[in-house]
Formats: sequence, structure tokens, C-alpha cells
Amino acid sequence: MIELIEKIEGEAKLNFSFAGEEIDFVDIEFMTARNIEKILEGKSALDALVINPRVCGICGHAHLIATVKALEDCYENIEISKKAEIIRELTLTFELIQNHFKWFYLTMRPLFGKKQEVLKATYPTQLMAKAIAVFGGQYPHTSYAIVGGVVCDITEIDIIKIKHYIEETIKFFETNLVQADTKDFLVCDNVDKVLKKNGDLPDILREIKKKKYLDHGKSYDRFIAFGENSYFTKGKSHKTITTHNISIDYVKEQDNLNSLAKNVTYKDKYYEVGPLARAMINKVPLVKDSHRRYGDNIFSRIIARVCEIPQLLNHSKELLEKLDLSEPSYIEPNIDISQINASGESAVEAARGSLIHKVELENGIIKNYEIITPTQWNLGNGTRENLGVSQQAMVGLKDVKTAELVFKTFDVCSVCTTH
Amino acid sequence: MVSDTLYKKLSARVNELSKLPKLDDQKSIPKLIEENGFSRREFMTWAGTMTAMLALPASYTPLIAKAAEVADRLPVIWLHMAECTGCTESLLRSASPSIDSLIFDHISLEYQETIMSAAGWQAEQNLENAIEKYKDRYVLMVEGGIPHGKGSHFLTIGGHGKTGEQSAIDAAEHAAAIFAIGTCSSFGGVQAAAPNPTNATSLSNVTSKPVINVPGCPPSESNIVGTLLHFLLYGSLPALDAYNRPKWAYGLRIHDMCERRGHFDAGEFVEQFGDDGAKNGFCLYKVGCKGPYTFNNCSRQKFNEGTSWPVQAGHGCAGCSEPDFWDTMGVLHEPLADRLFHTTFGGLGSDATADKIGLGLLTVTAVGIAAHAAISAVKKPKE
Ligand code: SF4
Ligand code: SF4
Repeated sequence: MIELIEKIEGEAKLNFSFAGEEIDFVDIEFMTARNIEKILEGKSALDALVINPRVCGICGHAHLIATVKALEDCYENIEISKKAEIIRELTLTFELIQNHFKWFYLTMRPLFGKKQEVLKATYPTQLMAKAIAVFGGQYPHTSYAIVGGVVCDITEIDIIKIKHYIEETIKFFETNLVQADTKDFLVCDNVDKVLKKNGDLPDILREIKKKKYLDHGKSYDRFIAFGENSYFTKGKSHKTITTHNISIDYVKEQDNLNSLAKNVTYKDKYYEVGPLARAMINKVPLVKDSHRRYGDNIFSRIIARVCEIPQLLNHSKELLEKLDLSEPSYIEPNIDISQINASGESAVEAARGSLIHKVELENGIIKNYEIITPTQWNLGNGTRENLGVSQQAMVGLKDVKTAELVFKTFDVCSVCTTH
Repeated sequence: MVSDTLYKKLSARVNELSKLPKLDDQKSIPKLIEENGFSRREFMTWAGTMTAMLALPASYTPLIAKAAEVADRLPVIWLHMAECTGCTESLLRSASPSIDSLIFDHISLEYQETIMSAAGWQAEQNLENAIEKYKDRYVLMVEGGIPHGKGSHFLTIGGHGKTGEQSAIDAAEHAAAIFAIGTCSSFGGVQAAAPNPTNATSLSNVTSKPVINVPGCPPSESNIVGTLLHFLLYGSLPALDAYNRPKWAYGLRIHDMCERRGHFDAGEFVEQFGDDGAKNGFCLYKVGCKGPYTFNNCSRQKFNEGTSWPVQAGHGCAGCSEPDFWDTMGVLHEPLADRLFHTTFGGLGSDATADKIGLGLLTVTAVGIAAHAAISAVKKPKE
């Protein structure tokens, strides 16, 4: 039975097979490809800064930051000011936040039979987009991060604006998502407390319990995150065991017979990436509590993603405090990129999980470029013997409607996937 | 008075529209606006902004407001082709007052993959139904390049495995107006950059029907909504430039309205990022700004509710709304310099304006650029 899944910023085809009452296999097909990696070949290194944000209009900023970091990784020594680092991290953080709102209001809530409230998605999204635009000039698709730093020279007034956007977004969160003080919510380590609150998040969480969906969406309980910054830690976690000693060298991309999207594994195993993975590795108390009670199910996935909003908002306030405007925005690299023969790699956390870029330069010209996107991890179209993460989460369910819900809790992005 | 005749013509059109049935009887735009907490005054402010953007006199504001209120008579079908969804994203965060999102989300959109509530087979059927039901009345908006001919299999959608190319052709067949939203749909865009692995092309290349291009990567939300409003008001296609772009939005070069223009004319340039010139807001031409070759209203309209635009943030314009973006606009951080006369408008480059193609008028500005370009052709001064 073939089911089309829309509203994943593109389209996927899920081919369900049933054994009796239960789904026993799902073939996930993506039927689009743009071959951006091929387009990058032969171009000047810095051109990737304009082309790559266009891999995905939803997480284009993550692509920009991953690109700039991969290019900088080609240098033996390159100096980036603390200020530029912080500004890049801030804009990336804002992108994550606005993405989470959109996912929750546009994708998740309607799946629970709730009215789609577009304005609730767009209002906080606009605030965060404006905050990015103050630094980057526009959102989506800015190229303001360059090898050596950032191009913007912001002023105190800009900082005041950004603080205002952050405060407004916090207010929106507190009046709509969870009606509570964010400060209390941040230290909350008990799911029951959240369930007793009012707001659009507890509303859905209660719905999951009521509908007896708690065993839905369990996968391997295996998580990974490569993108490290001042908030996220890199590492992997299986059940409750976490290690931080991981390397991109073990990440492997494989062609997929039925789909134009490639599979990704770490040491030949499928891993889940995304907010739940990050929270497991970062040991976020509330998410740990949810995981302890219900495991890696849809409940935990939703709570982890929404929970990340106030965490990141709070963190961005701290980052702003550390910003020293007197530092340079840009420090010219000691070697011109046109003289560089080297390869570099980077990983950043995008809204939907780890994004990896690898580049090989010959006299500053791109010889080879490889992009591994978050959804490639989660949607891996494995075999019956070795199921991908979301496949594993759908097997055993009894109808395609719930399977679709489970699939979408991973927030598969077909645009990114079919780069 | 010319504008008087125009006013009469436009009000007649809006009156006619208001007699048509609404797409959804349950809702009305004025009511929705009110329900969403916008005062009449805010709505009128928004209408005023739109009026200015469409280059109409301020006295037209009430008419624009009325046009927006009857927008729910106009069915819109939005298709996604090979793209990054950036245009939808741009639209989704259209600025407050969110009349833009109201029009798009609650009312007009009969089919839009990202925000519609239907999914899967239902969605596919909705599309077919919408085409059938609103035959010759709907506005078609297409986002994304079209993998074409031997490359068309790179975009296959729907349960029936239709190629994107076929869907676009079919939907175009009975559209009242067709808008290519974004550079990819207008000209192929980044997906069509060399070596163009999927053979992506513009929408106008796959249909014989007239296509209005609304390029930009992404186009600002105001250009998208303005295009729709324009059609609502006039019921006909806007005045276009040589590349089928509405002149009200793409009639001027980025460079013509740029806040750094004074520095350009004075010969004051950022020589490299982070220098004193950068701190003082000098012109970005020498660090790669393609503003002189690019026609769009970014410098006037800006992005994200007028917050900023690339040049304001210190990065040159990348030339994203021109044909052959990316191929004619690289290298990113270098001026086009010696390629000055081999770019846009068949080699006329910056000395052409949308109106003067073929005339090759050398404007004072163009001479200015050429002079500066000659200096920077040797690249920036370095140790
Ligand atoms: S070259 Fe660019 S920065 Fe300079 S005036 Fe023109 S548009 Fe503005
Ligand atoms: S400033 Fe230039 S690159 Fe940026 S959106 Fe406008 S036309 Fe495109």
C-alpha cells in the first residue's frame, strides 16, 4: 500500500507492507534530486557560501555555517574573533528556534486533529527571522558569514533590537506553548508537572496519553549529535549510556536502490539525530524524565523539540551578554583561499539534527563536496533485516495514519534530503 | 487625469470581484483580520505600504484595502518544483500586519504543499479538483526550477508518478495568470547552475502560456503578495521588462536605490571586509557587490518586515534575481570587473536598464563603474 506524505517541505512516498494487522516494512522513497554537490564541483571555494544556503530554504542558515566552517577547516591556522563566533552561533540558534515553532504549529498540531493556526507559527518565526536579519541582512538565504568571520558591524542599537525579539518570543512561548514562567520550565525535571499545565504543548502531550499512543514511534534508542557549540555537546547515546568520543570518519553515506536520497550510518549502524538526540546527549532533565518513562517515542520527541525553544532562547540571551562589540568582525586569513590545497569538514546542529559538510580544495577550487543532511540519518531506507530509524519506528503500527504521525515526528525534510 | 481613469478602471474591477462567490462562505477577510487582532487602522497602514510599493498614489489606499478584502474570490494554486522551499519560507514569515499570511493561509490557497491541511492522495486529488473547479479562473504560482526533458525524472511527484514538468504543464493549461515565484522558477536558478545536472529550466520554457517572473532567491514576501494584489486590482498582467519581470518591482537596479550609493559615486569603497571602509558603510562593489547588474527592489523594500537587506548587513548583493544566477554572478567576493560588459542583458551589463536594452546608453553611472572596475580588476591592494 503506497501512501504519499506531503507537508514535509516536499514529498515522500511511503510504501507500506503489512503482515496481518501490522505494518512489517515501509519502503521510503524520495523521487527528487537536485545534485547540488555536482554543481559545486569546479567552482571557486567561496561560491559555496552563496550556493549552499540554497540547498534548503528551511535550514539554509545551518548550511551557510556548515560551509564556512568546512572551508575554514581547510586552513592550518585561521583566526576567528570571539565576536564572529558568537554572532554565527546566535543566528544559527535563531534559525533552530523559528523552525521548532513552525514544525509544532504547522505539522504536529493538525495531525492531532487540532486546527492549524498559521499565525501562531508565523508570529514567533518572524521575530526570530528579524533577529537573524539584523546580523545577516535577510532570512532566508543570507551569506553574511565568510571565511575569516562575519561581514556585519553591528551596534548597541542592533543588540537592543535583538534582545527585544528574544523577549517577545519568550513571551509568546509562555502564553501559548506552556503557560508557565520559562525559568521554572527550564529546570523542570518532571513530565507530570508539564502535563498539568495549560498550553498548546501540554494539550498535545495529554492527547498522546489519552489516545494511548505512548508506545508509538519507538526506534533503536540510539542517538548521535556531531555539531558542537557553546550549547550542544557532541556524542552518542544508546539507552542511557552516553559517550562523547565520536568521529566523522566513521560516518558513511550509501546509495539507495529505491530512492534518490542516500542512507547514512555511523559504524554501519543507523542513529537518530535531532532535538531528542541532543537532549539525550546534553542530559536535559525534563527530556530524560520523559525518556525514562516512555522511551524514545513520539511523546519524547515532541517534548524534546519544544523544550529546546526556551533553552535556546535563554542561551542566546547569555551569548548576547558575552558579545564584545569592540572586537573585529572579520580577521583576514593569512593565506588567500585560492592558494589552498586541502580538505576540510564541519558539523553543525540544524533544527532537525546533525548536518555534515566535507570539502576538498585544489588551488581554491572545489574538487569535491559532500553534504550529509539530518533527515538522511532519520529516514534511512534500510532493508527488512536492517531497518532505518524511522522505518523501525513505524514497524508494528496498525494503520498508515499513525505511521504518518510517527514519520512526521522526525520532521523529515525532503528538500534537504534530495539535495 | 490619467490616474482618475485608472482609479475608475480599478474600482470597477474590484467591484466586479466582490460580486463573485467567496471560496469559503464561512469566513471573510475583514472578519479574519479582526479576529486576529488587527485594527482597521493597522490594516489601512498595511494597505498604504502596498499602495506605495505598487507605485500607485496614496489616494489609492482604500482601493487596495478593498482589493485585499476580496482576495478570497481568487483561487490560487501553488506548485513546488525543484527548489529549496525558500520562497514559501519567505512568504510564511511575511510581515505583520499579517494580512499577507491571512490572504495566503486562510483563504486563497487551494493547494500549497507546505501549509495546506490535506496530504497524500487527498492533496493530489485536491489539486486536480481545484484545476477542474476553477478552470480558467485560478492563479498559478510555481516555485522551483523544472527538471526538463531527459532530466525530468529528477522530479517525480504524486502517487501516479507524474513528472514535475508534466504537472506544471497541466496546471498552466487552464490558469488565468501564471507567476513564476523565485529565481528557480523564473530562470532555472541555482539548480540550473553549470553543469546543470538535472537539466533544470524555467517555467516559461516548458509552457507556451505567458509567464510573469517574480525572481529573487528568495523574492521578498512583499513582491510575492504585491504580484497577487496587482493581479487582483488590474485583472491583467503588469508592465514587464525584457525578462518578464513586473516593472513595479524590478524596474530599478539594486544599485539605484542603495544606501551606499553616495559612497560609490564618491569612489569610497570597502577594500576588504573588516576594514575602516566597512565600518563606515562604504560601497561594497570591490568586495563583490552585484547590485549594479541586478534589477530588484531589495534596497527599497528590504526583507523581514523591512528589517534589513544584505548590503545593509555589509555583504554585497549576490545578483540572485538575474537570469543565469549563479553562472554569471560568480566569483562571490570579487567585482565582475572585466566581465562588466558580458553579463546581464546580452552583454550590455550595467549600462542597460530594463527599458533601454538595445540602446546601450552609457549612463554616467556606468562610466563610473567601469572606471572603478578597472582599478579593482587588479584586485584589492595587498601586502
Ligand atoms: S555597488 Fe552595491 S553596495 Fe555599492 S552602491 Fe551599488 S548596490 Fe550599493
Ligand atoms: S540584494 Fe541581491 S542577492 Fe540579495 S536578495 Fe536582493 S537581488 Fe538577491
